[in-house]
Formats: sequence, C-alpha cells, structure tokens
Amino acid sequence: MSKHDESRRKFLVGAAVGAGAVATGGLPADALAQAQAAAAVPAAATTREHEHAAVGALRAFFNQDDAATIEAFAERLMPGAPGKPGARDANVINYIDLALAGAYADQQDFYRRGLAALDQYCRVIYNKSFVELFPAQQDEVITALEAGKAAGFTYPSAAAFFNTMRTHTIEGMFADPVYGGNKDFAGWRLVGFPGAQPMFTTADMQSREAFTRLPMAGLQAKAAR
Amino acid sequence: MATEKTDVVIVGMGAAGGILAAELAKAGMRVIGLERGPRLATKDFAAQDELRYFQRQDLRPDPKRQPITWRPNQNTRATPLQILNYGNQAGGGTVHYGSVSWRFHADDFRVRSHTVGRYGASAIPEDSSLIDWPLSYADLEPYYDRAEYELGVSGKAGNLQGKKIEGGNVFEAPRQRDYPLPPLQVDQSGANFEAGTRKLGYHPFSTPRAIVSQPYNGRPGCSYCGFCQAFGCHIGAKSSILVTKLPEADATGNFKLITGAMCYRVNSDNSGRATGVSYYGPDRSDNTIEAELVILAPFIYDNVRLLLLSKTEKFPDGLANSSGQLGKHIMAHMMANVFVTFEDRYINNFMGPSAQKHTIDDFNADNFDQSGLGFIRGAQISISTPNLEGGPIAFSTIAPPPGTPRWGAAYRDFFARYYARHGVMVAQTENLPYPDQTIDLDPEVRDAWGLPAPRMTYDWRRPNELARVAFMQKKMEEIGRAMGAPHIWRAEFASGLPGAHHEGGTRMGSNPRESVVNRYSQSWDIPNLFLMGSSTFPTMTGFNPTLTIQALAYLTADAIVNRYRKNPGPLV
Repeated sequence: MSKHDESRRKFLVGAAVGAGAVATGGLPADALAQAQAAAAVPAAATTREHEHAAVGALRAFFNQDDAATIEAFAERLMPGAPGKPGARDANVINYIDLALAGAYADQQDFYRRGLAALDQYCRVIYNKSFVELFPAQQDEVITALEAGKAAGFTYPSAAAFFNTMRTHTIEGMFADPVYGGNKDFAGWRLVGFPGAQPMFTTADMQSREAFTRLPMAGLQAKAAR
Repeated sequence: MATEKTDVVIVGMGAAGGILAAELAKAGMRVIGLERGPRLATKDFAAQDELRYFQRQDLRPDPKRQPITWRPNQNTRATPLQILNYGNQAGGGTVHYGSVSWRFHADDFRVRSHTVGRYGASAIPEDSSLIDWPLSYADLEPYYDRAEYELGVSGKAGNLQGKKIEGGNVFEAPRQRDYPLPPLQVDQSGANFEAGTRKLGYHPFSTPRAIVSQPYNGRPGCSYCGFCQAFGCHIGAKSSILVTKLPEADATGNFKLITGAMCYRVNSDNSGRATGVSYYGPDRSDNTIEAELVILAPFIYDNVRLLLLSKTEKFPDGLANSSGQLGKHIMAHMMANVFVTFEDRYINNFMGPSAQKHTIDDFNADNFDQSGLGFIRGAQISISTPNLEGGPIAFSTIAPPPGTPRWGAAYRDFFARYYARHGVMVAQTENLPYPDQTIDLDPEVRDAWGLPAPRMTYDWRRPNELARVAFMQKKMEEIGRAMGAPHIWRAEFASGLPGAHHEGGTRMGSNPRESVVNRYSQSWDIPNLFLMGSSTFPTMTGFNPTLTIQALAYLTADAIVNRYRKNPGPLV
C-alpha cells in the first residue's frame, strides 16, 4: 500500500466514525442545534454545541472571526447613521462572503492573507484585534492601509487590501440585492438611485427635482416604499 | 480536426465583420463568420445589472482569459490591462457600446496637409508619424449615409449640402440628407450643458447616436432607461450589429456563423496568397477553413497579433508586413474629465442614454485657431456620466473633490448628497500617431489558448498631448461655471495608460512602403486579404470611431462585390 493510499484509508476510517456519531445523534449538526434552540435547552451544552456555531451565523466563505473583521471594516468605510444606511444595514458582509464563495473565488487567498496581516498589524500597534478597537482607532488603521503605510503587508500590499475592501464594500452597498448585499435597497435609498427602471418619461427627463416615483426596482424584488 | 471550404471567411462579427457578412452574403457569396464569443439575443439583456455589466464587464473580454498587456515604454515590464474596451460576442463592441456615431470632419482625412497648410510643418511634433488618409470625406460620404440609414442613427443635421443649421453640429462636413431619425431627447445633464455652452457662445447639440429615437425597422424607440454603455439594450433600440446586420446575413441562406471560435493563424501559400484560417473550437478542436477571400475584422489587438502569428518564410516579420509598419502608430483617446455638482437642482444622471449625451464641436479637429497654443488638433467636449455609465457603482469610480476623502462618513454624505446632482464633462482628445506606440507579442504572458498576449507599448503623455489636455480642462471648467455649478473639479492623471478607442496597427495609406493596407482596407502584399476596423485608421480624430469603421466596411463591401469579384487582385 502506498503512502497515499495509507492516508486515504485513515481518512475513510475517520469519516466513517464521524458518520456514525451523527447517526447516533439522529440528526445532522445544524438540525440538532436548531431543535435544541427551539426547545430552549439551557447551557447544558453537549460537546457538539461547542464545536459548531449557532445556526444563522455561518457563512459561505468566511469564518466567524474573519466575517466580524470584514463587517467592522466595511462599516467604517460606509458608516451608518440615523436615516443614512451603512454597510452593516446593507449586509455588505453577506455580499462579500457570497462573492468570495463564487465569482471572486480566485481572491480567497488575497483576503486570507490580507486579514492575517491586518490582525498582526493591529496587535502590534494596539495589542488588540481590529474588531476590539474603538472606531477612531479603526479609522487610523484604515488610513494607514490606504496610504500604504501599514507595516507587515506583503501580498496583498496594504493599499491593495484597502482598495479591494473599498471596491467590494461599494459593490455590496449598490449592487442589485440579488447578489446578497444592498439589503432592502439600503444603498439605493441612501443615494436616491431608483434601481433598474425599464423606462423614463419625457417629464422625468425634464424634471429638476429628485426622482421619487415608486417602485424602486431590482432584478427579483420591487420596493413599494 | 475539421476542414471546410467557402468563398469568404470573416474573423470577428462586430462593427465591420457583421456588415461585410451581410453585404457579401446578399451578393451571393458563401460566407463563414468566426466569432470568439457567443451569440446573444435581446432577451439576454433583460437584467439591467450594474454589477454584472459595468463592474464585472460581462460583455467584454475577460482579462484573465484573454490578457492584453501594457507598458508605458520599452524599459518597463508589461502588465495586463484590467478593463478591455472591446467586444466579445457576435455583434462585437456594438452590443455594449454607448452608440455615439460620428462622421469625421473633412479635414480629419488630411490632417498632415491641412496642418502644414494652416500652421506650417513645424507645428507637427517631430516624432509624430502624422499622415493623410488615402481617401477623402467626399469618398466616404455615401457610405456614412448608408450606415446611418441601414443601421438607424438619431441626430440633427448641422450642415445640409453646405447650409448650416442651428441646433445640429454646424462644424460637421456637408451631408446630402438629414439623419433618418430625430435626435434623442435631452436629459437634465444635456439641458444644463446646452444652457452653459450657449451662454459662452458655443454650438451645443444632441450627440448623434445609433439608438433609435422612434420605432425603426421593426425595433422600438429608446425608453431612456439609462443602461447603454457596457450593457446590451433590453428592448433592441440600440442599433447594434446583433439586431441589424446579422439578421440580414441570416436571411440570405449564404451565411454560417461559428461561435466559440478562436482564430489563431491566417494560412498562406508560397505565392503570397491567403488560403484560409485555422481556429480552435469551443472544445479546443483544431479546425481549418479554406477560403478564396480572407477578411480579418477583430479588434486591433487581434488584427496585429494574428498577422504576427502567421509569419512565413515569405513574410518573416509577420504576414502582410513587407512595409514593416504592422503594429505601429497605435493611438487611444485620452478621456479628460471635469466633474460638477449642484445644490439647487437635480441632474438625475441615471436617466437617458449613458455615454456622451450632449456635445460641442467648437474645440475639436481644426475648428478653432491653434496658433501659439502649443498643440495641434482638439477634442470633442461632451456631458456624460462617470466612466460612461450612470449607476451608483460607476459614480464610486470618480475621485471626489479635493478635501473629500474616499471613504467614511464624509464620503458617504458626499455620495448621498451629490449622486443625483452631479454632471461629468469629458474631453475626448485627438492624440497623434507616433511610430514607437506599438503592439507586439508579449514574450511572457499567454492567453487561455496558449497564444502570446498582444502587448501595447504606449504613453499618451507627450508635450503636444499634455498641452491639449490642459487647454480642454480649462474650457470644461469655464463651462461648469457657465452652467452655474458651485462645485467644479478635475480628474487627475496617474499614468499614461491608454484610454478609450484604441486605433492603428495596420494603418491605411497611399504608399505600399509606408502603410499596411490601401483605401479599401486591402493588404498591399496579399490582395485576397482584407484587414478591417479601427486598426486601419492613420489618425484618430476626437470622435468615436464606430460609424467610420462601419462606413469603411460598406466601402470595402461595395468594392469586393462590384470590382474584386469580377477581377480578383489589387483594387489600387
């Protein structure tokens, strides 16, 4: 038996054990967690609960820590305020996550490395992770990235990581909601873009006022308000 | 490996290839068209999706599969361009273009002699390879007319048989008749530009566009949805080759379109005659077409690359390149931008056809006195949209005014306040030809088929070009003030990167030793080989090239049908 076959055998044995464990529990992990949540089972947590994130918190690409970092970063780029939806309101993190699992899969390593360098930089300067910083400190970090002055970045460079984060945050704010961001047309509402309107009338074109006629239209949804 | 025989093979089914396919098939010739991309239909364009079409460039070549590399000069290493501004499907760039459709001015066809006559030979930069075209405006006028009427162009005449008409372009060369369709309606960016430029004594007009303003040839009039440049038209109002000439070619029964076909070589024999082409199919199969007539009509990169890849013992420097001019004199428009925002009015720039909407021709070509300005030849100045598209993602690509950051609460507030209150002016400059602006084969980068990538060596920042841009920026700032805009700022230039509308590489001329093709876009060396498109342009003008590409294709089709077919050989 070759070395390759040996490791494959070990993997298959391990997988069989895992499958058996699930079978014993009777439910796949997510369903189990869901059932437990529904029954409001208190902290008498099984081992399995420690190993798995809560239902609804998992993402297509990012782990929870990285998702929290990206979400906080995007929010500083396009911060929300009362009456002004920001990146968190628009669910930009969901857009970037789905893009990296699909259309931008070739940029996964760009993000992994960029996030690692960002974390290292924050710990060296502030002895904290990015998400633990005050917003003003997060802005200092982003400013250093934008200027290419944050140490420790190789590939991607600090400026490249900033530029990509900015571009993808903008996309998550303003791309059609079908791509996972721009939740409830948050980005379009912020700037007054009416979406994919099939036509404008002569009166629309001659108006010097804001265009407010509804519905705001996306590929798969219309907003009545 | 399949081999087919036909009368004519045309590589590339875009602005030029589609016209030749239809016209030659209608004349009874059997035509095979090769197209690298797919054949889409109007129903494919229902989704008005800025992410897909503007941001991710879905209708343009994928720079990862089909890289074009660029370097500013011979001492630097070339890297792939990120956006490739040409087509990648049947219909070519006309599927996604902004549809701006100009006739060149009379003096555009004789720039060298006109410049020498008015300003003296010393006005021409010493290192420029400026020449006259081998044909005149009058030669091309009937074919401009045919393109406007057969395809469907909307506009207002400004010079009807020598009579100047206010409201049209009074600087245009005389036309025999008006446009087939009235101009497209004017949106608020156009209305503000109209008022501002009139105040300054200029001559604004609605830009002529190949978008039908009324029902025409079974297609509906424009709905002003705003998704033009980078998008396919969701109702077929854009007069793309896809909805105009390809159906005509289909109807003849003499036309066969092969999609997913990557042509990699023009085959030729020892007599110096083209015998056909070889191409990779979508399944990577290696195929050959034998043809009496070979017409290359891809974008300029592939015209040059194909000839370089097809070198033989007879043509060791590239097929049809006995002149040594193949791949030289590359030009690209510099798009100089000035941005304006308003406090007292909305512009709603997401409405209406999205590319250059309203134009003044007062500072284009030789329409103004260039004595003592430090440059020759001008620019088309228009009001437009950010990067020719009006959605919010496009707005995010413009640099905010000095003092406003690119992110954070201040940027959010700038975006929220001014997205619907902004205007974008653009000066599209007539950059001169220079012999050291070139396309050759990249020694390192290859495409998805294993072919060497075309490599551009180009930097627009020459003294003549820098002086022209500075002049145009000042003019646009004056127009911004005349429009009553309280905030006016200009885009800065980071590099010498080529802008829009790349031209040259197989220049046409009247001397076989100094040009690659004659006035019929026919190779001087190989009479049964025609090289179509803007690669043949000796000079570029400040105008968008497509209508001239199309008029030249009609001219060539006429020459092939009426002269070449009876007597195959050199047309000049």
